[in-house]
Amino acid sequence: MQATYRIDFTEELKKCVKCGTCRSHCPLFVEIKGEPGSPRGRLALIKRLHEGKIKPSQELANIVYTCLLCKKCAVECPSGVISDEIIIAARDYLNGAMSQPLIKKALLKGFLTRPSLLYACMSLTALYQKTGMHSLLTKSKLIELLPEKINACAKIMPDVTKKPARSRIPAVTLPKGEKKFKVAYFIGCATNFIYPEVPVAGVKVLSHNGCEVVAVEGVKCCGMPHMAYGETETASELAKHNMEILLKDDYDAIICDCASCSSTFKEAYIHLFQEGTKEYEMAQKLQAKTYDISRFLISKTGIKAGDKTVEPDQKIKVTYHDPCHLKRGQNVFKEPRELLKSIPGIEFAEMKDADRCCGSAGSFSIMHHDLSMKVLDKKIANALKVNPEYVATSCPTCTMQLSYGLRKAGSGAKVVHPVQILAETYM
Amino acid sequence: MVPREKLVADMEKMFGQGKVLKSELERYTYTYDSSFASQSNEYYPDVVVCLNSTAEVSQLMKYAWENEVPVTPRGAGSGQTGGSVAINGGIVLDLSGWKDIVEVDDANMQVVVRPGIIHAELNQELAKYGLFFPPDPGSSVFCTIGGMVSNNASGLRAVKYGATFQYVLGLEVVLPNGEIIRTGGLKSKALKSVSGLDLTRLYCGSEGTLGVITEIRLKLLPKPQSRGIMLALFEKLEDSALTVLDVFKAGIIPSGIEILDDGGIRCANMFKPDLNIPEVEAAIFFEINGTKPAVEEEGRQVLAIAQKRAKSVEWATDAERMAKLWQGRAVIGAASARLVPGKTRIFAGEDVCFPISRVPEALRRIKELSKQFNIPVVIYGHIGDGNMHTAPIMDPLIEDEVERTHKLAEAIHNLALELNGSTTGEHGVGFARAPYMEAEHGKALDVMWAIKKAIDPKGIMNPGKIWALGRE
Ligand SMILES: Cc1cc2nc3c(=O)[nH]c(=O)nc-3n(C[C@H](O)[C@H](O)[C@H](O)COP(=O)(O)OP(=O)(O)OC[C@H]3O[C@@H](n4cnc5c(N)ncnc54)[C@H](O)[C@@H]3O)c2cc1C
Repeated sequence: MQATYRIDFTEELKKCVKCGTCRSHCPLFVEIKGEPGSPRGRLALIKRLHEGKIKPSQELANIVYTCLLCKKCAVECPSGVISDEIIIAARDYLNGAMSQPLIKKALLKGFLTRPSLLYACMSLTALYQKTGMHSLLTKSKLIELLPEKINACAKIMPDVTKKPARSRIPAVTLPKGEKKFKVAYFIGCATNFIYPEVPVAGVKVLSHNGCEVVAVEGVKCCGMPHMAYGETETASELAKHNMEILLKDDYDAIICDCASCSSTFKEAYIHLFQEGTKEYEMAQKLQAKTYDISRFLISKTGIKAGDKTVEPDQKIKVTYHDPCHLKRGQNVFKEPRELLKSIPGIEFAEMKDADRCCGSAGSFSIMHHDLSMKVLDKKIANALKVNPEYVATSCPTCTMQLSYGLRKAGSGAKVVHPVQILAETYM
Repeated sequence: MVPREKLVADMEKMFGQGKVLKSELERYTYTYDSSFASQSNEYYPDVVVCLNSTAEVSQLMKYAWENEVPVTPRGAGSGQTGGSVAINGGIVLDLSGWKDIVEVDDANMQVVVRPGIIHAELNQELAKYGLFFPPDPGSSVFCTIGGMVSNNASGLRAVKYGATFQYVLGLEVVLPNGEIIRTGGLKSKALKSVSGLDLTRLYCGSEGTLGVITEIRLKLLPKPQSRGIMLALFEKLEDSALTVLDVFKAGIIPSGIEILDDGGIRCANMFKPDLNIPEVEAAIFFEINGTKPAVEEEGRQVLAIAQKRAKSVEWATDAERMAKLWQGRAVIGAASARLVPGKTRIFAGEDVCFPISRVPEALRRIKELSKQFNIPVVIYGHIGDGNMHTAPIMDPLIEDEVERTHKLAEAIHNLALELNGSTTGEHGVGFARAPYMEAEHGKALDVMWAIKKAIDPKGIMNPGKIWALGRE
């Protein structure tokens, strides 16, 4: 069994001693009946597939796709089994070996590789929401009649802003004060279209902390959704395209505000190319240059908050949800907290199990809606216990999911990226 | 025997489709536990049923009884003997989803739980009451209490607190014919009872061969106020064992005494690099708990004793450092897979227990066997009670290595018997160790069999465990 996502199946699978530790760490396993829902079970079946003892099948794909790729089992595994990467590679293999449902394929291959099409799609959704069709459908409960997946999607998708971040941010933003770094800002699909305020705030914060910020043009999706769905070849093409652009100029750093984008650059691209090739070298370079924005601010520029108080005369309570791809993917978890704590007028409150997956996992919340909601409910219960005004997080799909969860729970707490609060302090 | 299709259909009719796993892929995930024995075979159950009520379990057993279908109860499947694997087909009864804590009776220092609750989760809950269930297996984070009772598990603190059976006050058991009994007294909340034959004790360690345990009443202890951990490093393996004996001679019983040999130290460092234990022949972890002054005083004494032979000694009472040290030891079972790149560890011959006076000799002999069969072995375990875990490091894809590992495991089991020890200190027999039972017990095994036959005359409860298949 060989996949475009390069791992040595034989060696990696051999490491699993089947002790069962992962059963207690998987956020999905507690919601699913029986061993097939455990990481150990999934790996056992992938091993069998690798040994040629079973054939690719829809049932196997369902099992292999029922994983949030949250990495929890991998970091907790005493034997060092990289289960999330094994799952990605297995999906890649299965994807090549069998045909996927058409919708998913079209969505991934068609839209996300072609920015214009993606924009059109997002705009259509926006139009659909803006015209009141969305609320009409929701209110009249007609939405319940739509096919389950579209229904789930419509519930979770927030209002899509018409004007994407890329058209709001100048190509180059000069630093306020002395220039310390020249950085490239990678605007990912989701923040660009769904949460454009995030890159706008990110660029503002960087410029106030000594950075010349180039909002690089022409980049495409980072490729994470493709990898998660086994479309690794498309992901490789996207990787090549993005690396060409991002490494053309000699930036001091490449900054991401989305945990998935940065972790794709830092961890995943390297698996897409053979060692010794030009692309592999580029992936190594990109890996070294990529920073999550909070890590860059804390470790490189230092943070000077502005003079404006976020909410005069009162402390605002903020808690933080760790995106899986930031905490376990990049070991970034202190930085967003430090960033938040550096903002005058903020009271930081830690929630229980802040690093437990929210159940979003890109489109997992749409493809496995019920399961995802069970994971989400636990998250929201923990978040609400600290009674926050803001739930901060550094990933747009987490933001979408948490916002939906809070709405559902009747909470008025807002979900924001940490830099959005910091940006408020500058004039 | 009922044909598979009919069995599946009957299960679905009785319990609903949501509780039944039937496809080949689903059933495959029940062919293993952590034992090499199970992973070297492919024993498929005909069907898996996930239940969470006594009534359902009773209904299942009545059906199995009438139709003579084998039933294998299963917790987390973390056992190391193939105990939860259906080597004779039939039904695997997965109880790991039945996780209720029925009642914390803190006034009477006891708790009533369902079998699927996980050990660490139970103790987390009990901590709120200042109580704890002392047996502490390395698999605490994932093994179930049902599995612990059935295997009579113990672990890192057995030297002071003993094994699971010492804490089981009563059980609800569904018998092979579906009838439900309560051991330890129908309504008893007493902490002691010698009323009648001790059926509770009989079920502890019965490995699912005498019925299904559906409820467990456990005795609890107050959580000690304070603890400290000492890490002593020894240039010579045997010095570590002698130090343990010296500590006992001084009249001190630490709550845990754990050993890692050189390979174990390397693995612990690989898994938790900030542990950074210097590479010597042996590291001993002493855990001392109790009131704060007692911990300080005993810690001081153990320190003085250890310093006589150890190269260096560290005494930690800082919570973070203690947690790290203890975790380094607790996970070594699985982390030893990291020792040699390209190889893994397997669980076979992994649980021998020696008289403590012979531990130094045993350690030396195991090292010799490792050389003889040319299979590296990591040794770690509960040296305080002589219970050694040996982890062969090998490549399961190389046939010759597999063969040598099997021979090594056999030699280690035989060594335990030769040195007046036991083939298993805590993991149990399953089918992996059934072949040694005759040599270990002689005629007593016949009496065990007579008891089994009395309770399970049709032989439907977990056949092939403790007694090899085919014994009639
Ligand atoms: C890394 C690692 C470390 C370990 N460390 C220790 C240790 O320190 N000490 C120790 O003692 N063990 C240890 N073990 C072994 C194992 O975890 C224990 O034996 C544990 O108690 C098994 O629990 P389980 O829920 O996984 O049971 P399973 O493996 O599922 O089942 C074990 C046996 O119990 C039977 N059974 C399970 N539930 C029931 C029930 N409700 N009614 C009747 N029969 C039932 C099964 O049929 C089987 O025979 C370790 C295992 C691993 C993988």
